[in-house]
Amino acid sequence: MTSDLQTFVPRPDRPPPADSAGVAAWIRKNLFSDIPNALMTLLGAYIAFTVLSAVLNWALFNAVWSADTRRECLDAVGRAGACWPGVAIWFENLIYGLYPKDQVWRINVGFLALILWMVPLWIPRVTSKIGIGLSAVMLYPFLASYFFLGGDKGVVWTGLIALGLTGFVIVWATALTETLQAKTAGAWLIDALGRANAEEKMQTRIRLLAVLAIFLLACLAVWSVSFTEVRTRFWGGLFLTLVISGIGITFSLPAGIMLALGRRSNMPVIASLSTIFIELFRSVPLITILFMFNTMLPLFMPAGTEVNQLLRAIVAVCLFASAYMAEIIRGGLQAIPNGQYEAAHSLGLTYWQTTSQVVLPQALKIMIPAIVGNFIGLFKDTTLVSIIGLFDLMNMARAIGEDTNWLGLFIEPFFVVSLIYFVFCFAMSSYSIGLEKKLATGRDTG
Amino acid sequence: MKRILLTGAALAALNATPVFAQETLATVEERGILNCQVGLPTPGFYALAEDGTWSGMDVDLCRGVSAAIFGDPDKVEYQSVTSAVRFTALANAESDMLSRTTTWTAVRDTQLGLDFTTVNFYDGQGFLVPADSGITSALELDGGVICVLTGTTTELNLADYFRANEMSFTPVTNENVNVLVETYLGGGCDAYTNDKSGLAARRSAFPSPDEHILLPETVSKEPLGPVVRQGDDAWANLVRWVIFGMINAEELGVSSENVDEMATSTDPNIARLLGSEGNIGEGLGVKPTFMIDVIKMVGNYGELYEKHIGANTPIGIPREGTLNALWTEGGIIYAPPFR
Repeated sequence: MTSDLQTFVPRPDRPPPADSAGVAAWIRKNLFSDIPNALMTLLGAYIAFTVLSAVLNWALFNAVWSADTRRECLDAVGRAGACWPGVAIWFENLIYGLYPKDQVWRINVGFLALILWMVPLWIPRVTSKIGIGLSAVMLYPFLASYFFLGGDKGVVWTGLIALGLTGFVIVWATALTETLQAKTAGAWLIDALGRANAEEKMQTRIRLLAVLAIFLLACLAVWSVSFTEVRTRFWGGLFLTLVISGIGITFSLPAGIMLALGRRSNMPVIASLSTIFIELFRSVPLITILFMFNTMLPLFMPAGTEVNQLLRAIVAVCLFASAYMAEIIRGGLQAIPNGQYEAAHSLGLTYWQTTSQVVLPQALKIMIPAIVGNFIGLFKDTTLVSIIGLFDLMNMARAIGEDTNWLGLFIEPFFVVSLIYFVFCFAMSSYSIGLEKKLATGRDTG
Repeated sequence: MKRILLTGAALAALNATPVFAQETLATVEERGILNCQVGLPTPGFYALAEDGTWSGMDVDLCRGVSAAIFGDPDKVEYQSVTSAVRFTALANAESDMLSRTTTWTAVRDTQLGLDFTTVNFYDGQGFLVPADSGITSALELDGGVICVLTGTTTELNLADYFRANEMSFTPVTNENVNVLVETYLGGGCDAYTNDKSGLAARRSAFPSPDEHILLPETVSKEPLGPVVRQGDDAWANLVRWVIFGMINAEELGVSSENVDEMATSTDPNIARLLGSEGNIGEGLGVKPTFMIDVIKMVGNYGELYEKHIGANTPIGIPREGTLNALWTEGGIIYAPPFR
């Protein structure tokens, strides 16, 4: 028996009508769908055109690109065009502050080391990402401190710098072995020595010895290098802004987590101490805290003790930022349903296991936008240190307009500084959006 | 409440004489560096160049003191501090001296634990107006709109002056000089008021400086000079006599160019100044010939003035006929004799 059932074959789609596809249709649909819309579009276009042409005329077409003083710019175009040579001459200062020109490479190398340290985090095959991230936060600062500061290093500091260097070497060893051999550096070493079958204790000993050997080599390396001292008074520009906000950001996240947990703790002393700290620092403007730390801290110290001005500013920023971070994280913790805690308890997990493996991973994920928002805010807040006389990006820009040759030049430097801030904040913001997508945190997608 | 308590404690601590006051010179010598506090960069007085070097009238006082102590004018570390924290930074010993166009007033001299050494520049508040406005005297500014910096004595002086002359005005205030200048140039106010040295400096950077005139009136006294912590008289003496030495040098015709020849001069005044006779340095804790170093490496008062703010600089404040001329030339720059 044969069936002559016909299979249904749909006809190919016909192309959409000419007036509903393509650029012209999109424009008509979105910009000129009716008369009010069309008017708004024209108005918008007019405003955009006016603003853009004014900015471009000022910044590009009428601008002066070579001059020795602002007077020459003024004689050439008056105030109709920007006077860029002043900013160009000072540009290096905008980035590095008053750091001695022949030592600037140390800043570059220092930041390059940080980037290299972080590179393994983006290599897909590397698995020890948490360890690498933690080491960057805990060990990199020691390495960077010597690059940036230099000068005499005592025994303790030499040890710490060597620790930083050791961390760097191990991070890259791990990254290499995990990428090429899919095993940790320790496992690779043991395999290479042919001790894969040795007992656990022996293997641990070999790993420790290897770390110790690297550390001693690092000590030797650190001991043999010496940089001239560059006091923090010469630090400035974007470099200083990055140092202050970088330390503030790396400090505030763990400190904020601890404070938030403390505030939710059942232990009355810890809970009330955390609450007092958070409320005290959150209720006072950052500028007041900076002033307090800058001018009053030395009065409470024993006579003769000198606390570095930059250090005071950094401590103030850190404490302020962690108080804010604590409240953001507490918000995230509260968003975790009670069932999660109860389920973890019923599985027999301890408080720390519950927190670190059940609650925080979920809470931190939903808090990414808020946390990054706080980081961006902190990055911009650091401009306030200009008030206490640190030459951050903002203050450096102001200094250009007070240079005798460029007196009164202030719109151009601030324009450039805004661009620099925009680039950094936009990068942070884009990264956070990328991270959200990767972790698919949105409630609706889950 | 907590803040009030802390502020009170801090003020109390400020008034107390610091225990470390007595040995500034010894501390500086041991450190090998003079910590000198200047302000945020300001042309003429403490200007910052893009290579990180400081220069200016007030900066040269620090260099002079450094030359007197170390025989080297560049053993100075400059701390650039905003006016808001300048006195506390000095009082808690972050800096050894403050040299940043600070007006000497009774309250500052008596209530902040500070000592004013002497005056190195006499300034006064004035008004800048567009030349085509036809205004020739500050008394014609009745009912006008005046641009003024906030939070400075300038603002208070302005109000005092208008009240004393029974005139009214509308202030336009901002804390940023550049914004005020833009407002003034854009026609946002009839006059811009500030210390006359500052007005002259700003005018020099206008698109067309000739279209603006300084009114003749000076509505306030602004004697500016370096400040040290109270309680260390020996240190205050040293700073004071370095400046007196620079003024005396100008009066006696000793300059950085001829100081080597003058060192063997038989004029007893010059001999005492340069240390070939008597031993004034000993009383100050420095070597007898300290003024030779100061003058050779930094200059005499007149040289500093002409180099940083005189008629031939971009700032261009002529010296003749002003208070800042030597007393022998009609001014009030006068130093006690070196003997």
